[in-house]
Formats: sequence, structure tokens, C-alpha cells
Amino acid sequence: MRYLLILLFSMHLFAIDASMKIEKDVEHRSRIALVDGSAVSNAKLFKILLSDFKISGHFLVDSSVYKSDFASGFIVPELKSKEYIVKFRFTQQNGVKLEIRLLKASDASQLFEKSYAIQNVHKMPFLVHKAVYDINRILKYADIGWINRYVLFSRYTTPKHSEILLSDYTFTYQKVIIRGGLNLFPKWADSAQKSFYYTSYAGMTPTLNKINIYTGSKRTIASSEGMIVCSDVSSDGSKILLTMAPGGQPDIYEMSLFTGSKKRVTTFNGVDVSGKYLGNGGQIVFVSNRLGYANIFKKSIGSAAVQQAVFHGRNNNAVDAYGSQIVYASRESSNAFGGNRFNLYLSSLVGGSTRPLTTTGSNQFPRFSTDGSVILYIKQSGNSSSIGYINLGSSQSLLFPIGGRKIQSIDW
Amino acid sequence: MKQTLVTAAALSVLLLSGCGQTAPTLGASGGKNNFTDATEITGDTVTVNENGTEGGLGNSSADGFTSVYFAFGDYSISGAMQRKISADASRASQVAGKIKVEGNCDEFGTDEYNYALGLKRAKAVKDALGAEGVDTSKIVIVSYGESNPVCSSPTDSCYARNRRVDLRLAR
Repeated sequence: MRYLLILLFSMHLFAIDASMKIEKDVEHRSRIALVDGSAVSNAKLFKILLSDFKISGHFLVDSSVYKSDFASGFIVPELKSKEYIVKFRFTQQNGVKLEIRLLKASDASQLFEKSYAIQNVHKMPFLVHKAVYDINRILKYADIGWINRYVLFSRYTTPKHSEILLSDYTFTYQKVIIRGGLNLFPKWADSAQKSFYYTSYAGMTPTLNKINIYTGSKRTIASSEGMIVCSDVSSDGSKILLTMAPGGQPDIYEMSLFTGSKKRVTTFNGVDVSGKYLGNGGQIVFVSNRLGYANIFKKSIGSAAVQQAVFHGRNNNAVDAYGSQIVYASRESSNAFGGNRFNLYLSSLVGGSTRPLTTTGSNQFPRFSTDGSVILYIKQSGNSSSIGYINLGSSQSLLFPIGGRKIQSIDW
Repeated sequence: MKQTLVTAAALSVLLLSGCGQTAPTLGASGGKNNFTDATEITGDTVTVNENGTEGGLGNSSADGFTSVYFAFGDYSISGAMQRKISADASRASQVAGKIKVEGNCDEFGTDEYNYALGLKRAKAVKDALGAEGVDTSKIVIVSYGESNPVCSSPTDSCYARNRRVDLRLAR
């Protein structure tokens, strides 16, 4: 009898193990297939769907094109081994519409369905981004809201002329916001992406302006002889870090947008630029040549002491920060002319671990997404540029060619 | 016997109550900053046309001035450039009104650092002109970074031509 009880007890334990749910974590990626039920297939849309699922880091998406009626519940046998099927139907009539159904592959049960529509046909990519964002959310993966956001960038056109544009993260949708003149260094002013700061060279003195992208209303924030750039905005939007040069000496200043007062943060008489807030905003990282070459340093806003933050590389001239992590671009070849290699590194200022994010080519302009999970960067090879994304959690990466003229600065 | 049964039953109850819990859900928080629906993709954005840059549409020195050139990554006036500084100082003494001193770079490196480098070059020229007796209050400096190349071919000589300071009358 005793042994029978022990046997029953043991069987209970195994039964418990078998019924436990597996929690979703970043290591588990759902295998999905996309099934097109559109009357006319749209290759561009399909490519964006694949990119969105891939860069989320949460899905292993079958890149084959499957077609089937949108409304039916039939799933071809070869897809039964997937976890989910995403059925979609794209129509273009008085605007664009994307309908999706998320089905479980094993039994075709429907988990989610939604329709996305917009009048402006050029904004089709945003329908896809919203759909993938929702599917990701329904399946209870960590938020990927960054794929819905605008990227803001400036590019040169002719000498002393540039334009500032918005795009979606794939650069499929692009819209010029400011054209004419020389307007540079655009930087989002708020997390809702309603306004941005930029540097205008319209007058004798470089001026920092703020413009609302929906109304076009514009106002001047500050100006400085020589140069003025807004390099970062505090998380509550009330303060900005500026690179300014009164008297021709480029240094970092912090400006309160409520009072208009400016506080000088760096005092070295060489080059101090690109201040970025760390953590809760009491400290910054920045680029300086105070050791005789461009490198990354750290400083509390309230105190004079400066500490070196990066101890590798002889030319680290771009940095971005998220929490206590920094990403920087390091020049790794010493050709004075042409063909230099720039690679990106991710470093923690707490604990000090550093790892390379790229290994070849010219990779610059590193930028964290607003949630710190993805790095955006520009890869230059010869005359052409691509925009790259690296998902830090899954190490998935994507490149989108952006062709055309040279990008001057970028924010997202 | 009865004691063993009671113990077994008690243990079973404990184990079964454990089975009733559902696994915690992840990812429902909407991300740290909850930006998920921030982009108003339905809103129409503007396109604004701005005026051209103030004066100086040329991208080299003008008005009798001569450009000063710099080594890669450098903003010091070399011995060879001193001759040009002297020529510019002598030209400056002949003109009334303000003089615009514009710093430029080649295309390497990224955004802000390059603009600061251009500015340091402009400042070096301003200081050197001051050392030759020019009234520096009539000098305005600005950096155009890499926005104002005189050439665009990927060659050593083109890069060297872009690493320069231009001077012209301010208009």
C-alpha cells in the first residue's frame, strides 16, 4: 500500500510538469507563415511585413509566398507545422486597406482580426507596422512600438542647401518637411513626435528653431555665433543639451526651456560636442578631443569632474545613450583619405562590458530606439548608403538601401 | 496506514493547488515609455519652404580673400599657410564692414564633431588674423561642416580641397 501511494505521488509530479505553461521570453520565437489573400499581390507590402516580423526579434517568419482565400479557414498541410498563420488582404481603392487574421496553425482557430485603412496611399507602410505591432501585442511579446514611429533626418542637396524629411523606419515612406536653405541636425522635441528642433543657417548667426510638423508653426529657441546644435532632450522635454560656440569655442550647454537660462557644462578649450543624457538626466556622455583625439567622456552636470568612458579605439566621434548603456562609432583604420572602417560598439557604463555590433564597413550615426531595444545606424559603402537596425535582444539585423544624397543627421 | 494516507492526501492537495496557477504573462506593460500609439499616422504633416542661406552663395573665398587649408583632423595653421593668412590680413585692412570666416571639413566623421572641427578652423584663422593686426570685432565666424564641398570626387586631392576656411565680405 505504501509503495502504491509513493507511485501515485510520483505520477502526480510528472503530471504537474506536463501541464505547466511555457512562458514567452526573448529566446522563444514564434514560427509563422504569411498567407496572401489579396486579389493583386503587392511585393513592397510583403517585404515590409517580413522586415517587421524579423526585426521585432520575436518571430521566425517563413519568407515564402503562400496564397489562399482570405476568409477561409483552410490551412495547407505544409503549414500545419508552424505555430501561427497570418492571413492578409491588401486593397487599394480610395486609399489603402490592410486586413489581417491571426490563426493558430494547428487547428485554424482565429486569435485576432483587424482592418487598417488610410487615405494617403503613400502611408501604406504604417498600416503594416501597426498590424505587426498588434499581432506582437496579442501574442504577449514585449512591446515593439518603435516600429510605428517616424524617423527624422536631414540630407544635403546642393552646397549650403539641405532638406529635412520624415520617413517610416524602412524608408519606404518619405516626406519632406523643410526644404530650401541650410537646415540641419533635426531632433525630436517630444515623445509624441509633434515637433522637432533643428539648426537654421538662414541668417548670419546659426539659430535653433522648433517647428510643429502638423501646423508648420515655428519659433526660435536660441542662437549662437559659429554653430548651435540640439544634441539631446531630457525625458520630460523640459531641458535640452546644446552644442554652442560663443566666441567660437564649441562646448556643451544645458538649457531650461521654461526659463530660457543656459548653463555651461564643459569648459575644455578644444572640441566638446554631442552631449547625451544618461539615466535620470543628472549625468551626460559626450565626445571630446581633450586627450588629443576624439573619445567619449562622462560628466555630472552639476560638477566639474570628467571621466573617460571608453578605453578602446583612437577616434570615437559619435555616441548615443540609453539608461546606463552607450553606443558609439569607432574609426578603426587610419587611412587619412578614403575607405575607413567605422564600427559600432555597445558598452555598459555600469560593469563596463563592451561588445561590437558591427564588424565591417563604415557604420556611423548610432541611435537607440526610444525603448533602448534597437540600434539604428547608417552604413556607407562607396557612394551608396543603407539604414541599418540591430535588435539588441535577438541580434537580428536588417539593412534598407536609402540611395540618393548623403544623410547629414538622423533621429527617431 | 491511516497516517500515511492522510499525509499523502495533504501533500496531494498542496500539489494540486499549485497546478491551478496560470503562468504569468509577459509583455503586457506596453514598453517603458508606452509610445505605442504615439504616431498619428492619419495626421497630415506640412512641407515648409525656407529661404536660401544668407549671402555668400559661392563655396570658396571671394572679395579678394584667399582660402586657408588644413591637415586631416587638424585645426592649426601650418607654416605653409601663414603666407595666406598674411595676404588675407592685408586684404582685411582694405575693407570696411564685416568679414565672414567660414570653416569647412572633408566628408569623414559624423555630424557634430565635424561641424565643431570646421568652427575651430574658422576660429584659428580669426585668431591668426588678429595676431597680424586685424580688428577681430569685424570678423564673424561660422562652421559649414561638410555641407559646402568645392568638389565631390573620392580622391585625396578633393578631400584636401574641402578641409579649408573661406573668407568673404559679410552681406
